[in-house]
Amino acid sequence: MVKMLQDVALGLLTSGVAVEGTARLVVDIAMYFGLFVIVAMALNFQYGNAGIPNMGCAVQVITGGFFVSAITVRLMFIIVEGAGLELQTWATDFDWTYNNPANVRIVNDYITTNPTFGWSMLLFSLAGALVMGAVVGYVISLPAIRLRATYLMIVLITMADAAQIFGRNIPWIAGGTLGMFVPNIFAWYPGDRTVLTAVITLFIGLISFLIFKTMLNSPYGRLMRAIRENETTVGSVGKNVVGIRRNILMFASGITAVVGSLVAFYFSFVVEANYQRAFWTYWPWLMLILGGPGNNAGTFLGCALIVAMRRVIIVNKWFLQELFFFPVAYFESILLGVLLVGVIMFRPNGLIPEKLLYIPGVNYTLMVQEEVDIDWKDALKVNRGFSSGLSGVINVLSGKDPNEEDE
Amino acid sequence: MAALVYASELTLLSIGFTLTYLTSKIPNFAHGTYAGIGIYVSYTFSKILGISPYLGFPMAFLLGGIFSVLVYLIVIKVLTDMGGGAIVLTIATLAIQIFLTAILQVYAYYLREKYSTYTMQFLLKEFDFAFGGFPGIFIVSISMTVGLVLVLHYMLTRTKMGIAMRATAEDPELASVLGININKIQLFSWFLTGGLACLAGAMIPLWFQSSPASGAMMITSIMAGSLLGGFDSIYGSVIGGVIVGMSEIMLTTWGQSLIGVWVGEYRPMIPMIFLVVILMIEPDGLQGAYKKFAASDFGENILKSIGLMKEDG
Repeated sequence: MVKMLQDVALGLLTSGVAVEGTARLVVDIAMYFGLFVIVAMALNFQYGNAGIPNMGCAVQVITGGFFVSAITVRLMFIIVEGAGLELQTWATDFDWTYNNPANVRIVNDYITTNPTFGWSMLLFSLAGALVMGAVVGYVISLPAIRLRATYLMIVLITMADAAQIFGRNIPWIAGGTLGMFVPNIFAWYPGDRTVLTAVITLFIGLISFLIFKTMLNSPYGRLMRAIRENETTVGSVGKNVVGIRRNILMFASGITAVVGSLVAFYFSFVVEANYQRAFWTYWPWLMLILGGPGNNAGTFLGCALIVAMRRVIIVNKWFLQELFFFPVAYFESILLGVLLVGVIMFRPNGLIPEKLLYIPGVNYTLMVQEEVDIDWKDALKVNRGFSSGLSGVINVLSGKDPNEEDE
Repeated sequence: MAALVYASELTLLSIGFTLTYLTSKIPNFAHGTYAGIGIYVSYTFSKILGISPYLGFPMAFLLGGIFSVLVYLIVIKVLTDMGGGAIVLTIATLAIQIFLTAILQVYAYYLREKYSTYTMQFLLKEFDFAFGGFPGIFIVSISMTVGLVLVLHYMLTRTKMGIAMRATAEDPELASVLGININKIQLFSWFLTGGLACLAGAMIPLWFQSSPASGAMMITSIMAGSLLGGFDSIYGSVIGGVIVGMSEIMLTTWGQSLIGVWVGEYRPMIPMIFLVVILMIEPDGLQGAYKKFAASDFGENILKSIGLMKEDG
């Protein structure tokens, strides 16, 4: 294990050597862990804490991916042409799709000498995906947010399909069914590009973890939990439940969309088939439910377990294939279905149940315990007789020990 | 013609979906997959056993019912007893949908391995019979749907079981106080929904190209039909299923002839547009619209003149 980690660390430093073998698997798992943990945390933010069942994570992820292919790549072409390099025509849909590989190659050459350009494009895509994701979150919240949770789920699930249909049929966005190459923004980096992408993804995951943690411990986070528990009460206190829900959906959508653009850079390729509903909605949900909705530690654990399991299955596909007469992919779906139902049935709270929020200066555990620990039988036994019994109860309620007064 | 066949199949599916929603209060995402089971029952009867797929219809009804009851007993009932909310139950049905679709794929691969035939994309039109110039499925699907709707109507309004079912849908606790065995009613309604869905599925490959996933892909149309009908009215879902089914095929055909062939690619969007528009305008669908219509003065006058609403006093 230590050797493996060393290999990975070395892979970062050594130049020109592609990471292979077990180290390759570790990088892969790290990358996917980073991607899915962001999606699952955003989901935890929405479902675990605010009670919004967002079944449309795929819509937001696809938004990030399409932003990269449709806007960042175009911007890159414009800048590179402005720098004086000759690109093949990319004005029409046809040229855009068929000249894409050649153009991407020229852009890659340009990035090799201009690392700043690569970095700025990365930041631009991430920021753009954040904004676009928020916009999409707003749009999908329009028809559904006022409605019952089940309606929301139905609409969001179908939206994911709609996004895929658009991507498949409008070559302008992502090259239709053929897909679209994305310039390698780390072309200047001598080592393995994927290692760098994985590190950046994990770093973004860390940042979003901190953001979510801060938000959950803020008054707004407590408001979210209150909405989850009882929205009527929150509404009657004068809070705008619909508005808060929409804000949460928008914010989480933005973060989820960032994942989409990271995926695009990791694969260096965007095609709508990469952003399937099953892949980007059901698996994150399984991670969330397995780990335990409502706390980030559970999300981390669930995510790590599922990603490791899936990557190991996929990498060892050819060995497993001999055991089945059908493609392993369907074995995976069966596993997904069984795990999802099994976890819901046997561990409804997940591996790590939700904990009370930690807020400095407030000891929630003590508050809850004092309420629960009133043993009515004992309270009445200690003080026999009606009047003393009543005073005993009052003593217990106010936290005093009744025996203290007797003596 | 295709529109009518599709509409009748969709109507059967929508009725089942609404029935589940009425009795268990959950949108059953696995409902479309029952149709997938029906598709493969038809396939097995015609291609493997070499007899008419129509003989497989009773078998499809039974098998779908059994699957549905199993789903209810193993998952839904356990979760309901544990106190799982609507969201948890819906996620469970999604998981069942994934599971059942994968099982169908595995079955298709098994058949392909064993009999070396096409099992992934197929059409069973050659096993159909012709009747008076019409393909058999055209007559069978429409008459079967109309007949089943009438039978269902009779059952729900005249028989003891149907009335008990409606009572359970209205208020399960009150129904159980009145001595209705809710468990039995639930089991029966799940059996009925599964059976109807599977029956509708068995008719699909006789006209439309089918694959293991085509049942699961119909779920959007089913939900649009059910939502258009108001989600908790069986008669509404009949109308909703017909409208969504007809418009899905007809709008696509018209669009293809008027605008261009590329419109065909956007066919799955039609039920989605239905869903979104209904949710934005009238979340209660036709039933809600009807209630509003009946509440307004104008609507009241019209209904009274037709005789649907009684005169006051």
